[in-house]
Amino acid sequence: MARKISLSALTELPGNIWNSIFRNPLPSSDLGRAQTSFTNFFLHIHPVKVNRHTLKPWYTMGLGLITFFLFVILVFTGVLVMFYYVPSTNQAYDRMLDLRSTVAFGTFTRNMHRWAAHGMVAFVFLHMCRVFFTGAYKRPREFNWVLGIVLFLLTLFSSFTGYLLPWDQLAFWAITVGASIAGYAPVVGEQMRFLLLGDTTVGQEALLRFYVLHVAVLPLVITLLVAVHFWRIRKDGGLSRPPEAESEPGLSKETTAKVDLVEKPGEAFVTSAGKKHFGIQGLVRGPFTKVGNVPDNSVFAWPNLFMAELFVLILTIAGLCVLSLFFDAPLEEPVNITHPPNPAKAPWYFLGLQELVSYSAFWGGVGIPTIQVLLLLVVPYLDRDPRGVGRWFAGERLLANTLFLIFVIVNITLIIIGTLFRGPNWEFVSPW
Amino acid sequence: MRLALATASFVILIVHGIIFYDQFFHEWESYQTSYYQQALSLAKTDAERAAVEGRSPKIEQIIVTSFGETRVDRCSTCHIGIDDPRFKDSGHPLRSHPFSEELGDKLVDGKWVRRHKFNDFGCTVCHDGQGRGLGGKYAHGQDHFWPDPLLGSKLIDWRADYKPKLVGKEYMQANCTLCHTEDGFGSTPLVAQGRRLFFGKNCYGCHKIDGLSNGALGPELSEVGKKFKIDYIWESIVDPRANSAASFMPKFNLTDDEVKALTIFLKSRRGMNFSETSLDRYKATLAKGEPGQALIHGGVLTSPPETGTPTAGVAYGERLVYDKSCMACHKLGKFDGGIAPDLSFEGLMRDEDWMMGHFRSPRSKISDSIMPAFGFTDNEYQAMTTYLASLKTPPLVTNPAEIYNSLCSRCHGEKGDGHGQIAVYLDPYPRDLTKVGFMNSKSLERFVTSIRNGVHGTSMPAWGKVLRDDQIHAVLDHIQTTFVKEPRRPIRERKLPEINPIASSSESVNRGEGLFLQRCTGCHGRKADGKGPNSLDMLPRPRNLRNRDFLNSVTDRRLFESLLYGVQGTAMPSWIDYGLTEKEIGDLVNYLRSFDKGHKQ
Repeated sequence: MARKISLSALTELPGNIWNSIFRNPLPSSDLGRAQTSFTNFFLHIHPVKVNRHTLKPWYTMGLGLITFFLFVILVFTGVLVMFYYVPSTNQAYDRMLDLRSTVAFGTFTRNMHRWAAHGMVAFVFLHMCRVFFTGAYKRPREFNWVLGIVLFLLTLFSSFTGYLLPWDQLAFWAITVGASIAGYAPVVGEQMRFLLLGDTTVGQEALLRFYVLHVAVLPLVITLLVAVHFWRIRKDGGLSRPPEAESEPGLSKETTAKVDLVEKPGEAFVTSAGKKHFGIQGLVRGPFTKVGNVPDNSVFAWPNLFMAELFVLILTIAGLCVLSLFFDAPLEEPVNITHPPNPAKAPWYFLGLQELVSYSAFWGGVGIPTIQVLLLLVVPYLDRDPRGVGRWFAGERLLANTLFLIFVIVNITLIIIGTLFRGPNWEFVSPW
Repeated sequence: MRLALATASFVILIVHGIIFYDQFFHEWESYQTSYYQQALSLAKTDAERAAVEGRSPKIEQIIVTSFGETRVDRCSTCHIGIDDPRFKDSGHPLRSHPFSEELGDKLVDGKWVRRHKFNDFGCTVCHDGQGRGLGGKYAHGQDHFWPDPLLGSKLIDWRADYKPKLVGKEYMQANCTLCHTEDGFGSTPLVAQGRRLFFGKNCYGCHKIDGLSNGALGPELSEVGKKFKIDYIWESIVDPRANSAASFMPKFNLTDDEVKALTIFLKSRRGMNFSETSLDRYKATLAKGEPGQALIHGGVLTSPPETGTPTAGVAYGERLVYDKSCMACHKLGKFDGGIAPDLSFEGLMRDEDWMMGHFRSPRSKISDSIMPAFGFTDNEYQAMTTYLASLKTPPLVTNPAEIYNSLCSRCHGEKGDGHGQIAVYLDPYPRDLTKVGFMNSKSLERFVTSIRNGVHGTSMPAWGKVLRDDQIHAVLDHIQTTFVKEPRRPIRERKLPEINPIASSSESVNRGEGLFLQRCTGCHGRKADGKGPNSLDMLPRPRNLRNRDFLNSVTDRRLFESLLYGVQGTAMPSWIDYGLTEKEIGDLVNYLRSFDKGHKQ
């Protein structure tokens, strides 16, 4: 008996290990497809079925997903870089030199981290634009928009804190300028700046604070909020889509009528229409994600959604790899406190603000950005018109879209002016 | 989509292939392999062979802890034959470092022994470059951002104009000095020459170097060698405005050899030297004199030592004036530094007491002068004073236009607008002679006095011994017709007190101060130094009322006139129109007079 068991255990060992890890074989039936997404830890955040509209490449352009993948890459490369980094004003720059010269794959890892960080700032902004122009922030997704704005700010802050860590001239003066922008806030400005820097100037205290924020606090907070952000997408019934996307063209409303729940989750249940369904989830508010042969406009996540996501992932990695191969992350002179570069510029995403600051310290540094953020936060609560959801530049949303477009263009223009057209003493120069 | 997916995956694969190739096939590995092969074939004994055979390519590094901050020098990863005399004729990077008695290497029993052992010193202590770098570009400091590229190396992309001058191993003397600071150290003649020039050319008057000088006019140079490359230093010496548009440092007349010596000397200024302790530093700060006073260090001046008889002769003074580069700023004869006043007729304009006082502390005579106090010895001051006082030959000009152009236009400008060549370095700014309002509201007598006696506390000297009265009148006529372009108008008679009718008392001064704070600070500043918030937009600038010499030289009547009726052609308004009474003016005048306690009414 014992011999028999051990023999079969040995022969079946590989298969058993495989099956214990991947509980489902490659699915061939709808049930299998459903279970594949449902029983896998990494896939179970996805719905079993998604609306066809969600999969249209030009609807989302994968912008949110790219942002998320960049974040994952940032965590990964960030941990690698962290093994070599010391947050000390004496050592940080030397460690950068080591990373560049001696550490295996050091340059490439740092390049990937650097460009992914810039990319994340850009893509989180583009994602926000997509959500606005498709009206996706409307009920019931108001709060997810608010979370998105908070994530945008956290991304900026995360990038900003990371900017200081190489401890070169570029980093030092960019943070000096950036932090002084914070100091323009009335009443609490100076205290805020002091709290951030731990000193009156950028120095060892600031380096340590920025390091802790950058490698521990902000990634944790972002991870948590991203989880909530994703969770709410599911609970709000998937991505936004126009009402007509709910049903297949040609199907009348009645055939997609509501499903009566039978009190036996996990078992097959029968709807009033007499069709067989698989109840596989608890009670969900909002539009119910249906499984089975309900004649609606959805397809299985496996493989449709996963292929799309894989596609975005591969594309993101490929783009980043090529970028990191050809362009090295900058490393300028060691910090020289008495010799500021002229002009000293903040990181590019704050150059719009720096440009405004050159006109008015208070309005550019505090007033206008605060107003912009507040307006962004309350957008879904001001715009209560439910029309125009799920379509790019819907005609019903002409006013909102125009206003937002102006906001986007003005900010991008300011950043371009600040980046390319400002020379010594912040005077106008032509980049050509 | 699958095609795109496959393409993108392929791209990732390719990029990783390149990265991996790059990581596993380093340039330095091929150098090391080549070294091992050659060393093996050169090996004569078993021991030599054994020393090579066990080795495989790896990163070599020397950690240097004895010289300043810890250095990690990985140079010998490529320069692996550096200490192997058999490779003395190989090409770079395998070639071994030459031996030389200059560096202290000794020939013992037919074998050279190094004085500076690489295991102790590393490479970058002497050569500069980036020790942590691997691969030529970064290691040699060819990267634009690295502040210490290989000193004097032709590999480095120095600024094009100076590149041929910046190549040569003598530049490494700058780094020798980091340990060998002794003034008489024989192997660093260029540092010593540079140091002599630093004092001889009066650089120290304006620039501070910790432990050497205390000048405050120019940027501090204590750490200049740490922060800047030699091409930047060279360029800043020969063309001060190339790197700082606002610089008014004179262009000194230096030969290339002198510039090189200065560059090397400055490159050796890296803050604390390896041979210094922080205690030495502290002692040096304690030894410092007054700000603006130079600390003359170790007898490095070009002039003869002042021991022996004080040679207060004119010839000695003349040599001092030339040796000490006074003409880098001043004008004298055919030399013109273009920054400071003309000294050609100094003996006719200033007396010896004034000159001595001015040498010791220029601001005691002209309160806003930018001239540094150079801290020469009194003997030297006396000699220079004697020489300058001997300059008593009036100019050979008679025509009023020529007089104006040769004597006045350097400050007041060819167009009479006050923007002369050296005007920006003068405070107060030279008078704009084209302002009709001013020129026609002051009496001819006042102008004549100003020219004849000069204006105290300002750079306007007394021309009375240079020009005869008729010449002064002729020049004034010339100014009237050429610049003012209007005939003189009769001056309106105004009833003004000759002497302040309000007796000076602490109450009066207090009232005056209150009025001053209310009415005057916008332009004249809270300290009455002429630097109020509005002053920047005004020309002529508001008067510095703390200028004691000036204030003591003007009468109460003139102060009353300026305060009551304003100064036409300037921003000073007529305060009688703004409600100030004569009594209040009196209080104000008492307040102004109270700045100088010693002044007697």
